[in-house]
Amino acid sequence: MPDIKKQDTFLSDLLAKETSLNGKSTAIKKLRQKGLEDVQKTSFPGRKDEDWRFISLRELYSDSYIPASQIEVTLPDISELFIEESKNARLVFVNGRFSADYSSTDALPEEVTLGNIADLSADGEALVDKHLNAYGDFEDDIFSSFNTAMLQDGAFIHVPKGMKVDTPVQLLFVQTDADEPYFTTSRCLILAEEDSEITVVEDHVGVGENKYFSLPVVEVNLERGAYVKHTKIQRESMQAIHIARTAAHLKQHSNYESYTITIGAKLSRNEPRITQLEEEVEFTVDGLVLIDGDQVSDTHSVMDHRFSHCESHQLHKCVINGKAHSVFNGKIFVRKDAQKIDSFQENRNLLLSRKGLVNTKPQLEIFADDVVCTHGATIGHLEEDEVFYLKSRGLNDHQARELLTYAFALETIENITVDSVQELLVDEVHNYTSRTLQNQD
Amino acid sequence: MLEIKNLHVVVEEDGTEILKGVNLKINEGEIHAIMGPNGSGKSTLAKVVAGHEAYEITDGDILFEGESILELDPDERAHLGLFLAFQYPVEVPGVTNKTLLREAYNTIAKERGREELDPLEFEDYVHERLDIVEMKPEFLDRSINAGFSGGEKKRNEIFQMAVLDPKISFLDETDSGLDIDALKIVSKGINHLAGENNAICLVTHYQRILDYIVPDFVHVMLDGKIVKSGDKKLAVELEEKGYDWLNDLASVSVNGEQK
Repeated sequence: MPDIKKQDTFLSDLLAKETSLNGKSTAIKKLRQKGLEDVQKTSFPGRKDEDWRFISLRELYSDSYIPASQIEVTLPDISELFIEESKNARLVFVNGRFSADYSSTDALPEEVTLGNIADLSADGEALVDKHLNAYGDFEDDIFSSFNTAMLQDGAFIHVPKGMKVDTPVQLLFVQTDADEPYFTTSRCLILAEEDSEITVVEDHVGVGENKYFSLPVVEVNLERGAYVKHTKIQRESMQAIHIARTAAHLKQHSNYESYTITIGAKLSRNEPRITQLEEEVEFTVDGLVLIDGDQVSDTHSVMDHRFSHCESHQLHKCVINGKAHSVFNGKIFVRKDAQKIDSFQENRNLLLSRKGLVNTKPQLEIFADDVVCTHGATIGHLEEDEVFYLKSRGLNDHQARELLTYAFALETIENITVDSVQELLVDEVHNYTSRTLQNQD
Repeated sequence: MLEIKNLHVVVEEDGTEILKGVNLKINEGEIHAIMGPNGSGKSTLAKVVAGHEAYEITDGDILFEGESILELDPDERAHLGLFLAFQYPVEVPGVTNKTLLREAYNTIAKERGREELDPLEFEDYVHERLDIVEMKPEFLDRSINAGFSGGEKKRNEIFQMAVLDPKISFLDETDSGLDIDALKIVSKGINHLAGENNAICLVTHYQRILDYIVPDFVHVMLDGKIVKSGDKKLAVELEEKGYDWLNDLASVSVNGEQK
């Protein structure tokens, strides 16, 4: 059985099996080759690496994984995972493999391209070949290299100049139940041309309770005046490992608004990296984490302000119960001569249990002098005064704590504009609070 | 309706004794006023009746309709019909007044065997109650007390009382922080809510609110005890003479109090 610890044999094994599948285009082959080379030059991270010192990857290294393509797929009815608003603007991937049956793109204007990366590349879609892997600037990062080496299916969205798309696009990544731990990668490439507008809901769902390793990479490019709203929902299986990278490049007057919601996975890591390429841009990198039991959630973000006049916003809220562990490391760079930057960062943690653990580390590196960067981190329990106030009005302990937890979480999701996504998240928050308030320790 | 017997209370954290044998009986249809200087224990009494967990009862009892409520949680006391208007109402960002009130109203209704209201019915009911304290409907959709002025918070407490319709209400320093117009509105609301079947206990430092709400009984609290009871004339006397003349009625002098 291929062992992820022995990276050389693992990868060549995997690649040997993957060549018969999609992704036959020359461009993708080249990228895979490059990814493979990069993997071989890089080592897996461990506690000694500064960026990984808060968490242990033992959970990842303790198992062997087989390629997702080798497992037998038994898929339950997944229609309840479909977002109403994205009825015919949806791509579905099952264990990383594109599913034409479940996907539908009829609701989108003809000029908009929404499809599978491998198919489009094979059909000679020049945009895919030109832009794929152009924005995922994660240096010496074995995980994104791994993803590139495994490149095959993935979501491609192209919104042409001036096109404002009302219909939100759902990118649904379903991971199925299996007897053996498996390994799956996915890729998204979102290209928003000048003055275009699009809303994307990236949704990772585990339908079983099994262990698997999911490794998605998302690249977003915003040309001048483009506006991309990106919501990511991670609701993998509670045994899963989810290590994700998201990179966005912003040109003048563009606005990238992202909300990342972490609910599932035993071990998850998000690395949003926003890079400003021209003056006058705006972006939001908000997050909500709801974890319990022995879940670990780690967010390492980078907000790279390279030019003047940028407004950025990061509100990262975490609710921690049981022995769960939350890590936040928020880097803010303001490069030399990048003046008039207005950057807000706040990490707020609500600990519902005594045994929960929080590491939080705002990290500001500012080389310009005319900037406003506010940042803060708080860790706290529910205020007993608030609980008493609500109880004195007749709410029982459970209702009071649930309401206060819900109120804490709400702030990070109330700006999401897709109604059914909001409803879904409100339900998820309720599920979480009623579950956690029953088993506190 | 409510009977407090020889109540002794200490702060759980450090054991400081605050109430040193309080006796008080409140019947249906009565309005009581408990007056006293800062630190006399009158706010503690109100909180202890509501079930605040920071205090420990070392002796005595609190009976509501003949049954001890000492073992009941704050919410269970609310279900019986007890209400506390807070001296410092808590801000709860993210939860609207309406959400809290509907959940609270329906929980209490269920416990008391009354009919719960669906959102539409509740909407009608709550709007009618708004008029009692002359509050605008926009108030309902605002987060509980978040960003409210001091006066708005106090008015909101009385509004909550109007919605929940308790049997006995302790109003802790509801008059403080109110300008004269707001005081008149709040007093009018309280008078409107006072009836044959409920009781109100005003906890106050000043006599001012008693110009608008006429109490049947006035009690003076000093150093953790009720040292004198009388009718509304007592309040006037206190306004004129202050609390000092009553000091010899307290077994221990009032330490460290501003006089």
